[in-house]
Amino acid sequence: MRATASPAQESAARPADEEARMAAVRRYRILDTPPDGAFDRIASLAARIFEAPMATVAIVDTDRVWFKAAHGLDGVTQVGRGPGLCASAILHGEPYVVTDAATDVRALANPLVRGEPGIRFYAAAPITTSDGLRLGTVNVLDTRPRRPTDTQLDALQDLAALVMEELELRLSAIRTVTAERDRRAEAEHLARTLQRTLLPPALPTVPGLHAAAAYHTATEQEVGGDFYDLFPLNDGRWAFFLGDVCGKGPDAAALTSLTRYTLRAAAIYDPDPCAALTNLDTVLKGEYQGSSPRYCTAVFGVLDPVPDGSFDITVAGGGHPPALAVRADGTIRPLSTAGGQLVGMLPRPRFVQTTTRLFPGDGLLLYTDGLTEARTPEGAMLGEEGLVRHLATAAVRTADDLLETVEVLLKRLGDGVSDDTALLALSVPAHTDNRIQENR
Amino acid sequence: MTAPEPLLTVDPRQDPSGPCVIEVAGELDHHTAHLLTEAVDAAPFDSAAVIIDLSGMTYCDSTGITVLITAYRRAQAAGSALSLAGVSPDQMRVFSVVGLDQVFTFHPTVEAAVSSLHR
Repeated sequence: MRATASPAQESAARPADEEARMAAVRRYRILDTPPDGAFDRIASLAARIFEAPMATVAIVDTDRVWFKAAHGLDGVTQVGRGPGLCASAILHGEPYVVTDAATDVRALANPLVRGEPGIRFYAAAPITTSDGLRLGTVNVLDTRPRRPTDTQLDALQDLAALVMEELELRLSAIRTVTAERDRRAEAEHLARTLQRTLLPPALPTVPGLHAAAAYHTATEQEVGGDFYDLFPLNDGRWAFFLGDVCGKGPDAAALTSLTRYTLRAAAIYDPDPCAALTNLDTVLKGEYQGSSPRYCTAVFGVLDPVPDGSFDITVAGGGHPPALAVRADGTIRPLSTAGGQLVGMLPRPRFVQTTTRLFPGDGLLLYTDGLTEARTPEGAMLGEEGLVRHLATAAVRTADDLLETVEVLLKRLGDGVSDDTALLALSVPAHTDNRIQENR
Repeated sequence: MTAPEPLLTVDPRQDPSGPCVIEVAGELDHHTAHLLTEAVDAAPFDSAAVIIDLSGMTYCDSTGITVLITAYRRAQAAGSALSLAGVSPDQMRVFSVVGLDQVFTFHPTVEAAVSSLHR
């Protein structure tokens, strides 16, 4: 049955379920989207089927009719929600036809009928959601009165159903993309959170020593496995370590966690730096033997305060770039642990330790290879030499200075830094600092 | 449409003189390392010397190093020879820092690695 005549007062009416209908319109996120070939083709197909000059795919908004596609309307993108045409068509579950608007009380008052372009003929099929809400119509218009055939009206309904299918497809694509984005964001957030728990929230205060640490993230997508720590031993000495586990993502985070707790426990058991790394090697081999072996590299050190304010330092290296000693007189030398091997994968790894004294005004910088393997704008690897050259350009006095100087370098390297970088800096306050300040 | 350039190619072949040569070219990292893992798993450590040709390798991260050490352990277990050929100076620096310069046998080229086997 076709709705061909109904009372005039209906033309200004709104659907009983207008609130739910508008919620559906918004749900499909179609209003004010850019033109789209699929809908343009549907509108021109409707016009061709009716041999009519104009056709639209229209969505009825609160107070306007917005055209997702308009054929033959010369740039018109929306009209007011006037009575008699689309606004009335969505009141019906079947095609709505005005054969001659000049004599049809329902459409007489519509501006498109009274004024330009002087519509006489209008036929519309509602775009209906699966739960029966009518978002708008696929409609054809003409400036001459006409009488459509049943075949044409059937085709118009098919086109409206096609529009609905297209809207459903788009919505499910939007939802899939959004869900995937949410899922990924959540996973990254989880990995980042986990990683943060692997770093001490704040470094402890070591009497007579400045300490500063930083974690520089290369990309949000891939969580690296750098770690560091500084903590007291029970005999007045302090231990510190910094390192990097192989791999990325949650697996690397789990290995980082194991490494960090093992090193802390090992230090309590035997704080000798080489012994701590040997202990870690044994634990990693036990945990990751078989098909998925993993390793880490680390520097482990012990700080022993000397009565004159200096610190004796013993560091052991397990396949890690050596710490740099930045002396008060400006010389910068690695505390070489060359020959030390990576931890956790080699049959009989060698760890190498060395001892030095940090005097007042001296500093120590530990870093992971995200820094030294970064590429300079010329494409070369920065290397230890590049890092030392950069540190030598700045008047570095304290742990904070050291970190700040490296941050400047990281910023300058920009995209050349492809891996996370952890930094730990220690410095013994210079006596001269105080004297200079007192003299001011 | 053309297929995207693969980031890593791994090409195992049997050298006429006996050893298995695994040619690695491109970026060996945690996205691509599985390709080398498969080649190492399939390599005939029990019956032949293995040479991994890294002359075309442009990048190697920690996951790549893990695979190379796995190959080393396979060779050790089988009592066979494994060598790395064509390692770039930058990569050699990385190997030195992690102490692998003491672990692997290095040769400048595959030819040099092959001829050292016949010495």
